[in-house]
Amino acid sequence: MDYSNQIREITSKLFADNKIDYFVGYRQNSFDDSQVPFLITDPAEIPKLVFTDKSVFNLANYLKPDHTKRKRVGLVVKGCDSRALNLMLTESQVKRENIYIIGICCEGTLDDKGQKPQNCIECVMPDPVVYDEILGTPSGKKKYTVNADIKELAEKALNERADYFEEIFAACIRCNACRHSCPLCYCAKCCIDQETSTLYNGANTTSGAMHALMTWSLHLAGRCVDCRNCEKACPSHLPLHLLHKQNENVIYENFQHHLAGMEKDDRGAFYKYSLSDPDDFIL
Amino acid sequence: MNVFLVETDKTGLQKFYEEIIGKFETYAPVEKFGKYDYKRVLKLSECNPDSPIETTMSVKPLFFPKTAKIMKFVEDSSGTTVSETEEDPFAGKRVILGVKHCDARGLQVLDQVYKWDYIDTDYQKRRENTIIISARCDKAGAQCFCTSLDYDVENSDAHDIRIVNGLNGKTYIQAITEKGETLLKSFSLQSTAPDVAKDEISKHYKSFEASFRLKMNYSEVNAKLQKLFDSPEFETVSSNCISCNTCAFICPTCHCFKISDEKIKDAGVRYKSYDSCNNGYFTLMAGGHNPRPVKYRRWRQRAMHKFVYYKERFGVNLCVGCGHCAISCPVNISIFDVVNQVAKV
Repeated sequence: MDYSNQIREITSKLFADNKIDYFVGYRQNSFDDSQVPFLITDPAEIPKLVFTDKSVFNLANYLKPDHTKRKRVGLVVKGCDSRALNLMLTESQVKRENIYIIGICCEGTLDDKGQKPQNCIECVMPDPVVYDEILGTPSGKKKYTVNADIKELAEKALNERADYFEEIFAACIRCNACRHSCPLCYCAKCCIDQETSTLYNGANTTSGAMHALMTWSLHLAGRCVDCRNCEKACPSHLPLHLLHKQNENVIYENFQHHLAGMEKDDRGAFYKYSLSDPDDFIL
Repeated sequence: MNVFLVETDKTGLQKFYEEIIGKFETYAPVEKFGKYDYKRVLKLSECNPDSPIETTMSVKPLFFPKTAKIMKFVEDSSGTTVSETEEDPFAGKRVILGVKHCDARGLQVLDQVYKWDYIDTDYQKRRENTIIISARCDKAGAQCFCTSLDYDVENSDAHDIRIVNGLNGKTYIQAITEKGETLLKSFSLQSTAPDVAKDEISKHYKSFEASFRLKMNYSEVNAKLQKLFDSPEFETVSSNCISCNTCAFICPTCHCFKISDEKIKDAGVRYKSYDSCNNGYFTLMAGGHNPRPVKYRRWRQRAMHKFVYYKERFGVNLCVGCGHCAISCPVNISIFDVVNQVAKV
């Protein structure tokens, strides 16, 4: 999977036609084969743009108000990234006319060790769901599978599960890299940053981390697109997908196989209500 | 430099480690979730004093913990009663194994700020009661540049005891400070100190210094940065930063903190936890003014504090060139690249 040349061509054209103010892509890292998100305003930088299977970071993150400030942006998205972008469009965070989307039919990315990460193996939608231009051949929607480690965790006893999660929360350093790398965490003022409030716990304790991560997990229930930006960003290497995948499974099974961001203007399971909705999974 | 020097081999070193773990409260790099961190160990098999170059967190949390209780309080009709918290868990006598050069140097740099102005007694006590034993830094990692930053690795006194690989499978245990020497003597180890050993140690550090990929002309970068406060480059280099706090929290020398309360009903605890200048709310004042409302100003503060301001005030560079931040950054920003790019003009 190497679309570097095509992306460079499209970007040159976009700048030449004055369609965008800046472009968000990837460039090679200076010290190893990983890649860095790369924001350019100057067409002279275009030759540095690359796209290969090492282009892992979800660039929809750079459409948050903090980064873009109502500018016209061009960007590259993979399948999962486009789902996040779709949700951002639905939730009125981005104006469709302000962005130019190059969609990639993704064949799966590679991690630091050169292996396909679990979310790419289990990917439901490798093709972009929203785009202005599409590169590659679409392979269509895949079958949804319930994650193996979620199943394993669900079979454990309640206290074992509690201990496991407590270990995760204790190892958290509350740097908030998970929140900042998530394209769908775009609130201008996050509720867990309210340090003067006694309702939210700002301390870097296990209970503080649990409070922050559980709040975050619930705010992303039915919205998480499983791009795993958070997990890749976590300096403590915590298995953060566990917090989201269980929600995803429950929603998939109970709400007409709903998956976040797949369709235009789909506001997600938590925005719709009908009296026939199942509720037997609620504690 | 002290000359108490013990010649041993791999098994001798293992025995030395085991004895230390048996006798003292010992901390060493332990693997958890696929990364290494300094944790309390009871057996040598639990830890790896020669862990890969990078532990995720530096040794800082053992001296400046990610969270610490400051006081307890109870509110009732007569007002608020404040009481001291229980004893500091890190105040006892302890030994840390496998500390890298950058981490140990980081503590020396931190000492400057902790003994200036307000003397942090908790920190001082933790420092006094701790013996730091080095890891065998053989080869520089991809992100290491400690030797570029006014740091003489060979003649450093950042560790109390240093462990150096010699030729032919030999290993040297060398006391650097008095604390270290007392500990080695208490183990009834004999100082051998042949001149050959000193030569070998010197050779080891020569080859170690030669293994660095990243090299910086520090005095030039420092001099240039002093005049570059208004450089437009800061906006370019920080454009892909996502404003999380990872780099500051894992940095061996970042020392900003915030105060927050954990309160249930009328009683609670006041905590001191890490904070970071990358955080958008860091400089937000009562009344709403924020002198660093945009990302590039926060990055400028970070780079200038690391490479200019601290040096001006305390005479040492705040960045120790460990590369922890570049390794853990979600978008792979390296402070080495940032300052070099800004100082390029």
